[in-house]
Amino acid sequence: MMISKFLDESLITVSVEQKEKPVIIGELLDLAFRSGKISDRDAALKALLDREKLMSTGLENGIAVPHAKTAAVKDIVMAFGISPGGIDFHSADGKPSQLFFLLLAPENAAGPNVQVLAQIARLTNLESFRKELIGARSPAAALEIIRKAEY
Amino acid sequence: MAVDGLTRNMLVYVDGSEECIAAAQAAIIMAKKHSANLFALYVVNVSLLEELLKARILVKLEEMDYRQDLERDGRRYLHYVAELARKKGVEMHTELVKGVVNREVVKYIQEKGIDLLFMGEFETIRSAKDTHYDEAAWIFRKAECSILIVKQTDKIERIYNNLE
Repeated sequence: MMISKFLDESLITVSVEQKEKPVIIGELLDLAFRSGKISDRDAALKALLDREKLMSTGLENGIAVPHAKTAAVKDIVMAFGISPGGIDFHSADGKPSQLFFLLLAPENAAGPNVQVLAQIARLTNLESFRKELIGARSPAAALEIIRKAEY
Repeated sequence: MAVDGLTRNMLVYVDGSEECIAAAQAAIIMAKKHSANLFALYVVNVSLLEELLKARILVKLEEMDYRQDLERDGRRYLHYVAELARKKGVEMHTELVKGVVNREVVKYIQEKGIDLLFMGEFETIRSAKDTHYDEAAWIFRKAECSILIVKQTDKIERIYNNLE
């Protein structure tokens, strides 16, 4: 399942500016909310923050994948952000997070949801992909890097 | 009349996609015409969940939750295709298993002596990298029986609807 099909330039920021985890999640969520794909922003935010309470979605190697199931979306919704300098996201390796893949999925789409999460894991496992993506200077450039990695 | 080694035992691989519904309809048509034994299999992709758990993208609680969701979805899909068969007077044996999808399908084919496997059409645009993780493509390569990839879904649906 290719993640590029869930992204367009309006869903990407290459300059995540916030420093606090809930605010970063809110910033990315706003990208998706403005696209009109989320019916209830507060419910979506609560689902994402509830998931963070279980364990931080800050992984290793500068990757963060805030995600949740919510009735506030009818289909899988993604947003993507880059913080070139990195932000403390309580990551697994204690290092700053630079690439943020936000994913919301409806309650009844476990199959596609799992496939998308797996695709994020596979892509971000590649050091060359991570480096190139961190260096993207525009949403268009970031999207092109993701597409190129998937084809 | 079933032909031993070709149409005695037929299997539909159910993955929840629209394409697999067409595959089920085609299998029902063929099973009725050939008086074949018809099976349907759904595999809960447990290996993918374990991959996500290992990558720490999922926590254990989520993994269990997704496992239940996938199992529930699988039972729903199987019930749906069994109903399609029942409406046409065809008995369909359904089974849900858990594991690595392509391995479980290949194993099932061997265990049940499946002659012909029905699968939905593959996605039209695929990358070489994506194909590596495509369970349907792996089944296509590894299954030891003949495989029928069902296309022209509208036509298949019409034939299914007209089947008496």
